[in-house]
Amino acid sequence: MSGEEEENAAELKIGDEFLKAKCLMNCEVSLILEHKYEQLQQSSDDPMNQVSQVFEKSLQYVKRFSRYKNPDAVRQVREILARYQLAEFELCVLGNLCPETVEEAIAMVPSIKTRGRAQDDEAIEKMLNDLSLIKKFE
Amino acid sequence: MFLKVQLSWNVIIAAENLQQGSLMLQRAILIRLLGDFAAKRATKDLGYFTAVTTLDKVGEGKVRQHTGDVLFPVVFNGVTFKLFKGEILEGVVHKVLKHGVFLRCGPIEHVYLSNMKMADYRYFPGENAYFMNEKASKIAKDVTIRFVVIGTKWMEAEREFQALVSLEGDYLGPIASPDI
Repeated sequence: MSGEEEENAAELKIGDEFLKAKCLMNCEVSLILEHKYEQLQQSSDDPMNQVSQVFEKSLQYVKRFSRYKNPDAVRQVREILARYQLAEFELCVLGNLCPETVEEAIAMVPSIKTRGRAQDDEAIEKMLNDLSLIKKFE
Repeated sequence: MFLKVQLSWNVIIAAENLQQGSLMLQRAILIRLLGDFAAKRATKDLGYFTAVTTLDKVGEGKVRQHTGDVLFPVVFNGVTFKLFKGEILEGVVHKVLKHGVFLRCGPIEHVYLSNMKMADYRYFPGENAYFMNEKASKIAKDVTIRFVVIGTKWMEAEREFQALVSLEGDYLGPIASPDI
């Protein structure tokens, strides 16, 4: 196990470079990879042979674990979450796991409570409601 | 978690592949970059190299002495996948063993959930072995599980990550899905 500095995503300790790095939600990666795959299909008879194992497994994964499929919905999810002063990492965990209750959201991303960002339950509740609305209208 | 990264690499084009016309050269550089990217597979810091998204900049080529190959500095964007300790994710069971199960999560296949980290589950042997707890929640092949990462290990020789995960925590465990 990597022991240099105690990494803990629950407390948002994931290394400065990753805190600033842009994280991507599964649904966003799904759009990117499917688009790449379509491009390959047009230029090759056997596209699966052209991609790496990592690509293939990632594509299978994000197809199964994307809560939102429609590109407009995917964009809206990020827009909505971006209003709540979340770190990139937190934003994507919420977008990936789509918690249904405030309690569940805090269990998935404990740092939204501990970082002292006045993220009260009411704000979290509103955020979850907004997200479920997108899902309904997708 | 999938990450969007910007990388600066050097791409080497063999002398015999240097053809006239800037489009052909651009194409040769891109093909070589995609090949290098896939071959690299993963690194300890950035995780698994999933896809190149954009090639942003190709610098001036430098001819290498002796071989005549040309080295081009390039800047590009790509997607990688890395697991973080403490992160909560979902994965799919692909192997059930007596002392735990292996899950697939993104490009990683070696995600291990030990029976010790799902203490209320009991092993049921058989052709389709599975784990079940008293609430009849079942962990079998192809079941989706939500888990927390408790440790990761980079294996340099295989260029692979291993991860240890746990169900100890609220809202973790098998997830009802229509295809079970």
